[in-house]
Amino acid sequence: MSAGSKEANEQRPEGLTPIIAMQDVQFQYPGAEGTALRNINLIIQPGEFIAIAGTNGSGKSTLCKCLNGLIPNYYVGDLSGSVQVAGLTAAEETVSSLSRKVAYVFQDFENQLVRPTVYDEACFAPLNYGYADYRERGQRALAMLGIDHLKEQWIWQLSGGQKHLTALAGALSLDPDIIIVDEPVAQLDPYHAKLIYEKLKLLNEQFGKTIIVIEHHTEFIADYCHKVILMDSGTIRWVKPVQAALSAVDELAALHILPPQVTLAVRDAETAAGQVHLRDRLFPITIEDAAAYFSEAKILSQTNNALVINEPIRKSVRESVPASNPLVTFTNVSYGYKTITRERYPVIQDMSIRFYEGDRIALVGNNGAGKSTLLKLISGIRRPSAGQLDVCGYLTKQASPEQLADFVAYVYQNPEEMFIEDSVRKDVEYFLKSRNSPDYSSFVDEILHRMRLTDLQDRDGRLLSGGQQRRATLAIGLAMRPTVMLLDEPTASLDASSRREMTDMLAQLDGQVKTTVIATHDMQLVAEWANRVIVMHNGAVALDTDQRSLFSHVAVLEKTGLLAPQITQLSQRLGIDPPSLSVAEFIASVVGDPSSPHYVNRSKESAAIGSH
Amino acid sequence: MVSAPKRRYELTQSQKLMVFILSMSLYGISNMFSELIPELKLGPIELKVEYFAFIPLTLCILFNPLYAALGASFGEVIFGELLLGQFGGLGELEKFIEFTIAMYIAGLLVSDPRNRKQLALASFVAVGIDQMLGAIVDIGKVWFGIEDLEAVPGIPESILLIEGVGFLNAMLITGIFFSLLPTLFLVPRLYGKIEPLLGMKPRDSRVAISFGQLLTPRLLITAILFVFVGVIAEFLAESDINFAVWEPEFIEQYGSGFIWVSAIAALIVLILTLTAAFRAKAKSARASGNVKL
Amino acid sequence: MEAIKQSMLDKLSVEQIKIELMRTAFGRQSTFLSRFDPRMLLVWYSFFAVAPWFIHNKVVLLGLLVPMLVLTLSSKVSPLVLIIMGVGLVSEISYILLGSLLFGGSLEAVWPLLTLTLKILLISLASIAVFSSMDPEKLSDALLSIGMPGQFSFGVSYGYRMLPILIEEYHNLIHSFRLRGRAPAKKGFLRVNSLIYMAKIGVRAFYPLLLNTAKRTRTTVEALEVRGFTYALVSPEAKKLKLSHMQVHALDFVFLGCSLIYVIALFSLGHYLSFSFN
Repeated sequence: MSAGSKEANEQRPEGLTPIIAMQDVQFQYPGAEGTALRNINLIIQPGEFIAIAGTNGSGKSTLCKCLNGLIPNYYVGDLSGSVQVAGLTAAEETVSSLSRKVAYVFQDFENQLVRPTVYDEACFAPLNYGYADYRERGQRALAMLGIDHLKEQWIWQLSGGQKHLTALAGALSLDPDIIIVDEPVAQLDPYHAKLIYEKLKLLNEQFGKTIIVIEHHTEFIADYCHKVILMDSGTIRWVKPVQAALSAVDELAALHILPPQVTLAVRDAETAAGQVHLRDRLFPITIEDAAAYFSEAKILSQTNNALVINEPIRKSVRESVPASNPLVTFTNVSYGYKTITRERYPVIQDMSIRFYEGDRIALVGNNGAGKSTLLKLISGIRRPSAGQLDVCGYLTKQASPEQLADFVAYVYQNPEEMFIEDSVRKDVEYFLKSRNSPDYSSFVDEILHRMRLTDLQDRDGRLLSGGQQRRATLAIGLAMRPTVMLLDEPTASLDASSRREMTDMLAQLDGQVKTTVIATHDMQLVAEWANRVIVMHNGAVALDTDQRSLFSHVAVLEKTGLLAPQITQLSQRLGIDPPSLSVAEFIASVVGDPSSPHYVNRSKESAAIGSH
Repeated sequence: MVSAPKRRYELTQSQKLMVFILSMSLYGISNMFSELIPELKLGPIELKVEYFAFIPLTLCILFNPLYAALGASFGEVIFGELLLGQFGGLGELEKFIEFTIAMYIAGLLVSDPRNRKQLALASFVAVGIDQMLGAIVDIGKVWFGIEDLEAVPGIPESILLIEGVGFLNAMLITGIFFSLLPTLFLVPRLYGKIEPLLGMKPRDSRVAISFGQLLTPRLLITAILFVFVGVIAEFLAESDINFAVWEPEFIEQYGSGFIWVSAIAALIVLILTLTAAFRAKAKSARASGNVKL
Repeated sequence: MEAIKQSMLDKLSVEQIKIELMRTAFGRQSTFLSRFDPRMLLVWYSFFAVAPWFIHNKVVLLGLLVPMLVLTLSSKVSPLVLIIMGVGLVSEISYILLGSLLFGGSLEAVWPLLTLTLKILLISLASIAVFSSMDPEKLSDALLSIGMPGQFSFGVSYGYRMLPILIEEYHNLIHSFRLRGRAPAKKGFLRVNSLIYMAKIGVRAFYPLLLNTAKRTRTTVEALEVRGFTYALVSPEAKKLKLSHMQVHALDFVFLGCSLIYVIALFSLGHYLSFSFN
């Protein structure tokens, strides 16, 4: 029996019936070599809000699929041990009887939605199970999540966040006792992810649902969950209350889970101040706690003078770059698409902006602000409906995407849509081959080597892991030797270590391309990578600035639904000006370490993670 | 309330549903496009893309041919007709049957997805059977729709000519460009790669083919050919055309009833084979405790 | 000049097609026939789709044409559909006629051919009138109630759901090819080279589309399992519940009755008229 399960059992208050009880559970997928789950002993009480964390392939989803009967009824494999769910013995039940107790929202929730409208979707499950009151159930589920106003909408017209809520409503309509949500943050922007968590919290507190999330974004875990189950290669390593769990900074880092920035900040600040940490030392895990901690001035007192940084803020790029010729020039560009009512829906409105050599542009803004459309306009696959767009001397209106491809590389948000060949190497070669470039193969070798894809070059891109897929798409873009590189959400749905790796690779692009534009929600990426930030709102530029001053424009951030990185928020709370963009910077300004560089691309947490 | 049957669902049932859905959505969407591709008309000869035959064919070859074929036909009706507001009612039924049979047979023909000869044969057989069955129905319509066909000279020959040209056109344009070439391109690439995505093992070419399996598709093709020839012959006989080619001596000896007999015999063989094939499928599905799709 | 050509090509772009498809699929209006019960309409349709084959009396056929035309027009069908149907019908018949002349026929063939045309026209109009205004979901429910497998009715709504996703994905894949490919430098006779280039991409894009869709399908089927779809397929209760919203009203019988009276009247008239002709 593992140490973790003992701990879990010890925590069981006497007299309460657990809602989930797993004993010595072991599972092996048919035809698979190793076991997917081993020695699983787990007790979960009703009304808990639990996070399951762990690396890819550690068995998180497999564990959850044992709870709703998909294992072993759908994935026929060898399951042993006993599973009790909501008073039912799983081995004697079917998927349909267990699913009424356990709702499941998949990570790729888009594919879970099978009906045309929101209301249909909400009623689907109760209708299938023959509940005569299926309409009321659907209606009630929508009301619980506060999306009844979307009732008549077509699913395809919804935003990502709304789709996720709809998937949740579809699961909720069966009135389950347990709700399992698989990686809600992965496919959503931070604003909507927070919204989902608020709804889950509501379901937990007001309706008494037991919530289980599979999650590796520790900042959300810290804010919402009660307990953390840490999984590692098919076993439960431990179950701990959330603060104890997230304070195990080094253990989490070893499993590629990035602890909250504020937790790292406290830990690093104390280390810098020469404190030695006991093994079960609890660190603050939320901004509030961390702010309280630092205001108590345990270590601040000695470094008060360091709070004000005298170094000048780096000038905004537009001022610092000499008036060279712009690479991309928008002149009063507007773009809209026709809706099915034949009306034109404006996406970009009368936009004028220039991109120069040396720009590392982060394009931020909420969903639907027009970020992706802007990239598509530059790549030539959309054409402005008014105004002129000049890209490297070509007017996009008159040039085909094939012609523009000589200057512009566009890396999609969804890597799978970029893999058009049956191996990574062929995909990387495609551009050069179609242009009959002489001796391209050594160049391709070099790129594959640099993107660490040499061993993967013969595999099909879509069969790779998330991080590998991103690297492969970046390689495809690089092989085009572009002047302008466009990337759409290059760090979305990556785990901490892949995200780190991607940020590093993006930092290396400078020598290869003249300017890079990244549309992103990842504020840590913005903080650490960009030198120019363009905030878009409703198809127009709301702000064009550098990354540091971005976070002091509180009104703009609020209007556009952007959230500054936790560490930036913390430093703002503490009145540090300019706000810190990384933990290392924060430590430098708090502890006043003069050797720490002010602009750090690799913060300390990255070093900790990257070394594994 | 019927209590949920307490049994383990065999993996195959969900796999079948997957194949069905995959085939339905992909062929459906391609059908929407082919409906919209403009046709190039040179007089009576239309150069048009009939359908993206390679999609269902590829799936029939790689997976269970019956469910892939059924899925594709459903997809055509749903995407290509219903959603576009062009549902043709009973007319769709004939297309549905023709297409399903054609794809099913072609899929059965391939025992080794890596064998290019088999793939090429299946590509033409798929389009060929579908077009043949379509021609039979078309001829039947004229035959039935015009009261005394023999009283109107020229029409039967004319119909035959048009159907013949249409058949050739389909075999050349659709058969080569939208069946043969894409199938040869796709199947070897997808084989062994798409199956794990659906949680299945690739079809194993080494599995010995039972006598029944080997016989059925051939028998079916022969039967369809017979019906095809039979109907044309009967059609001509009915309308009193005297093509030397079309009137072998034995007709005089045995009377034109001979053609009727052979046509009906062929039809019976066809129906019997089909019923047997579908029955066997259903049986094996039931035997393994599956809900019949 | 090049720019004009380019914009002409754009008109035929996937983008344009996408909008048209979405518009037809999602922009349905209510019409005269759409207010009736779909099962009743199926009964009505199955008579008018089969009967014309057995009617050789031209008076009756012409008499049937009148209400069909009226109903078709009332179904607010797009003129394009009607034009395509008309052109198709006329050209098909004229080819047969031309062909028959080639084989020594005479213009006498026109008369029987027109009868055939009339029959096909009647049947096509009947299906356009009934089905173009019928909500596919309603139709699938009606078919479910007469014993069509549950997969079909699921397929219809799933089609609605998947249509935008698949079109979008296909579109993006095509762009992937174009953003990395090279269009032929010479357009060729009648732009043949460009057409071949696009057709090739159009076909090749199905390779990634097949794989990506396969990946999606797996989650979908898993979710269907969890959400009771396979359970409902074998549960008569669920089917009954699903179909309980369909009700036959008095109005439905009135419509059927009127149709019946009209047909009977027409047959008697046809009988009388053909007698008087003789």
